[in-house]
Amino acid sequence: MEGLILVKDGDIASGCNELFKTFLTSGKLEAILVSQETPNGKMAFPALISDPEKLRSNILSPILPVSEASEISRMTINKGSDKPVGVVIRPCQVRALTEIVKLNQANLENIVVISMDCPGTMDVNTFSNLPEGKVPTDIIMDHLLKGTDIDQYLRSSCRTCKDPVPMNADITIGLFGVDLGSGFLVQAHTESGERLLEGVKLEAYKGEREKAIAKVRGGKDAKREAFISSKKEIKGIEAIADFYDKCVNCHNCMNACPICYCKECIFHSSVFDSDANKYVHRAKNKGIMKMPDGALLFHITRMNHMILSCVECGLCEQACPSNIPLMDLLIPVAENAQRELDYYPGKDPDEKLPMVVFREDEYRSVGEK
Amino acid sequence: MDDFEPSVVAFLCNWCSYAGADLAGTSRLKYPANVRPIRVMCSGRVDPVFVMEALKEGIDGVLVAGCHPGDCHYQSGNYKTNRKIKLIKRLLSDLNVDPGRVRFEYISASEGQKFADTVTDFVAQLKEMGPNPLKEGCK
Ligand code: SF4
Ligand code: SF4
Ligand code: FES
Repeated sequence: MEGLILVKDGDIASGCNELFKTFLTSGKLEAILVSQETPNGKMAFPALISDPEKLRSNILSPILPVSEASEISRMTINKGSDKPVGVVIRPCQVRALTEIVKLNQANLENIVVISMDCPGTMDVNTFSNLPEGKVPTDIIMDHLLKGTDIDQYLRSSCRTCKDPVPMNADITIGLFGVDLGSGFLVQAHTESGERLLEGVKLEAYKGEREKAIAKVRGGKDAKREAFISSKKEIKGIEAIADFYDKCVNCHNCMNACPICYCKECIFHSSVFDSDANKYVHRAKNKGIMKMPDGALLFHITRMNHMILSCVECGLCEQACPSNIPLMDLLIPVAENAQRELDYYPGKDPDEKLPMVVFREDEYRSVGEK
Repeated sequence: MDDFEPSVVAFLCNWCSYAGADLAGTSRLKYPANVRPIRVMCSGRVDPVFVMEALKEGIDGVLVAGCHPGDCHYQSGNYKTNRKIKLIKRLLSDLNVDPGRVRFEYISASEGQKFADTVTDFVAQLKEMGPNPLKEGCK
């Protein structure tokens, strides 16, 4: 089921907000999790809203302060919902959600996933410190309508996004290939999606969506390739150690990551606790030991633990107080690792995680190179 | 580099490879003395952090050995380790560390000879590679 929803004065954000309202007023949804602007318009945060009068969502607001997938995990890790709850989340967050469901960290029982074509998001600081007179939503609308280049505002993960169009959502809000002056597109991909759209007035859509999507993808893919090849010099242990030089061991990157879920991270455990004699022994090993010494091990281990499911949302980078461009390393490494194990995170909910499957014929002995 | 003696840490599964190493010892099989064995309850217990920590501290090679396919006491620990090692090797190449410094083998309790041969071969290979480059950096 698909069709256009017409809006007045090209106000897509209000049009979507109205649609979400009807989901609540009709009782089709008990509540909806959606990014909500703060009253001063300077920030937007996901909020779980049950009162339609409180809805002040703006799906065009280009910001992703926290992982929406992590919030869904927080809500559903013990139990899904008894009644339908909608979640309006960005494509990378749907992919992250697909991964954390596989990791048994979320339960999609009665969760209806609504996602949208995503033009990209800004770093929290860019978003809230835009020059006087610049409105984030206008910047995005301008880009969608006239194709203005907005790369200067976007986070690197969004400039190089692999999948700006959602996969595995129940409903997609289509912005690409749509005449946004008159309205936006909605598509239901599943039964629960169709149930939500039942009774909503839809006009026939006659645009060239596939073509528009191919164009957006083509542009992002080229930027991604250029990005990866421009990061080739971060290779070799020296360069990698330099790369993490500014790391202050705060572990914000890990906390911000939707994929890192362990309640008791090994790096917060007593595993590495030691005594003075052992420290001195270790210092003697090389004659010198950086204190604290864990940053490089932390980052490499984190990669080992989550790289196959990394959806390149860039939230780790956004959370880093030292402004380490973490994606410079993560994107190329994720690309290599995921290709090696032939896995595309977030794509197929039924495909098992690579670390839990094994084919009898593979790697009989991994001793050889 | 004739006098270079590589250091090797071996994570050996309690149910198979550790017994295999024991058998190699009691059968007086000859193999290099460079190995420091660490017994784990299953090769599946070997988290990548163990391997990375060993390499970071300057160990030249890490051997992980577990039960043969189908023999793991916990059904699939060895399969998972197999894939984990594959990933570790991939990341090591990205770090410019020779992935050959990490080895995974299936060694059963009766394969004392295989244990001795694996270690002999691994040590020879590491000698050729030279010392672990991570040993030098202070970070
Ligand atoms: S590692 Fe960074 S980019 Fe990858 S999923 Fe986690 S937060 Fe997102
Ligand atoms: S957020 Fe930045 S400083 Fe904090 S642990 Fe991660 S990389 Fe290091
Ligand atoms: S019990 Fe030996 S590998 Fe699992």
